[in-house]
Amino acid sequence: MSTVSQERYDAPTLDDVAFVVDEVWRSLLGDEEGLDRLDHPGHALDHRVGTWTGAVSVTGEWRATVTVELGADAAGPLAARMLALPDDEPPTDADIADAVGELVNMVGGNVKSLMPGPSALSLPLVAAGRAAHPSELVEVTRLDAAWHDRAVRFTVAIPRH
Amino acid sequence: MRAMIIDDSRAMRSILRRIVTGLDFEAVEAGHGQEALDHLASGPVPDVCLVDWNMPVMDGYTFITKVRENPDWRGIALMMVTTESEQRQIVRALAAGAHEYVIKPFTPDAIAEKLEILGLVGAAGGAA
Amino acid sequence: MSPNDTFAQVSALIRRETSMVYDEGKEYLVSARLTPLANALGLTVPDYVRRLPIDPVEKRKVVDALTINETSWFRDHSPYQAFTDHLLPSILEARATMPGPRLLRVWSAACSSGQEAYSIAMLCEESLPDGWDYEIVATDISGEMVERVRAGRYSQVEVNRGLPATRLVGYFQRDGRDWQIADRLRERVRAQQANLAEPYVGLGRFDLVLLRNVLIYFEPRTKQDILRRMLPMVAPHGYLLLGSAETTLDLPPDLAASWRRDQVGRVQTHRPVDLGTASTPTTTHRLTATGA
Repeated sequence: MSTVSQERYDAPTLDDVAFVVDEVWRSLLGDEEGLDRLDHPGHALDHRVGTWTGAVSVTGEWRATVTVELGADAAGPLAARMLALPDDEPPTDADIADAVGELVNMVGGNVKSLMPGPSALSLPLVAAGRAAHPSELVEVTRLDAAWHDRAVRFTVAIPRH
Repeated sequence: MRAMIIDDSRAMRSILRRIVTGLDFEAVEAGHGQEALDHLASGPVPDVCLVDWNMPVMDGYTFITKVRENPDWRGIALMMVTTESEQRQIVRALAAGAHEYVIKPFTPDAIAEKLEILGLVGAAGGAA
Repeated sequence: MSPNDTFAQVSALIRRETSMVYDEGKEYLVSARLTPLANALGLTVPDYVRRLPIDPVEKRKVVDALTINETSWFRDHSPYQAFTDHLLPSILEARATMPGPRLLRVWSAACSSGQEAYSIAMLCEESLPDGWDYEIVATDISGEMVERVRAGRYSQVEVNRGLPATRLVGYFQRDGRDWQIADRLRERVRAQQANLAEPYVGLGRFDLVLLRNVLIYFEPRTKQDILRRMLPMVAPHGYLLLGSAETTLDLPPDLAASWRRDQVGRVQTHRPVDLGTASTPTTTHRLTATGA
């Protein structure tokens, strides 16, 4: 997966994605729970974000897939917080899938609104494992971030021209 | 006061439930528009519906148009709570009969203030 | 400690420190603001509140968290309702027989990021009769805030706060991740930097001055000085509005007598007492006494 020059494609900027993600994250977890943006993490994060993946697709005037990948160490506490689970009740896989789905829905919907429209947003798909874009998609924006040292990655991929 | 929370995400319903029960609302939940219509047909009619847009089975936009077709449900305030945030979408929802519109992400205060605009929460913060 | 006791204790603290009143029903707000502070120390909110009486640093933080100038649209509702229903009709009636341009002038003092100024601008758009225009002077001590008001751009999170959806789509255009207020309103809101504790120069006189939730930040003497210098800024037919929890009851007698307080709808208004005409016998007596 390579990041290509954004001028060639209809892609949101990294700043736009970071801004959207920050607002979503704070609204779900509180103002004190910001995400720290990691500017040049390279591939070091790859193995740490691979447990849960959520994706929404945008179709219409703008076409893209918006993805979040995160490790169990981030996805579990995220779900527990969103569902307000008591400390002695760990989130189930269904809880985590639901929370990750809502996270990527909110990020995807807000990214969509920054791009040319009208476009429609799909329902979120959540799966255990890494995201693998089909070959007709190319990743154009990637935001790597850390939440209490736990890795979270957001990507936007669009069709190859 | 009674609120119906209609969203396909349990996590989002849980967040909204905590906010509205904190404002002294009773809350019922539905996972999509059709389930919400079934609740409306069988149960007590809520004062307000908090409605997501993108949901399986029946989306929030369709739900709003269905509610507006039934004169018995004229008294229900309809508030979209959705990540759909283009101006065009907001105008569409208002034209279809939504009274208010909250864009995700939101803060708890934002929900309370919109309920206040709808006259469902007193200025002091509790349900009117 | 029950949640009620916790709230009562916080409410009493805020009232003591700021004269602001947090009524029952604001529990959600108190809990939302205090949870981050409590979490930062690894405490529950009740445990945190129990500690406040012996911890002045945390006490200060609580006061700041609960009094920070909020930036909601149409904040508190009542003043805006009173403006449309009572104040504006009364001002227009008084001015019907006066010479001068048909321009309504409003001062949003301590305007922060401009939500109050633009909220009033929206009401002027909707309620001013044909042939009338309006000008809103928005001042703040912060140059950054003044720039924000001039730009008239607000984030998604900001436009969620108290702004009715019909007005969002009516007065704003989505622009990237922000919402841009309409040029028509932006041209009528004049933002400039000003410190309320310093002389008011070149502002002119106003039909309405909004000085809401800002006096609480000043020492009593400064507060009195501000209210004294506000007198000539408000036209005789005009109004001064303070925050709902702010009061002028603790003013020295002469200053208190210079402002007439009226309950209008759910808000208390202040109007300058016109010393020239307020009490004819006193005026006559004075003239006699000085032998003029």
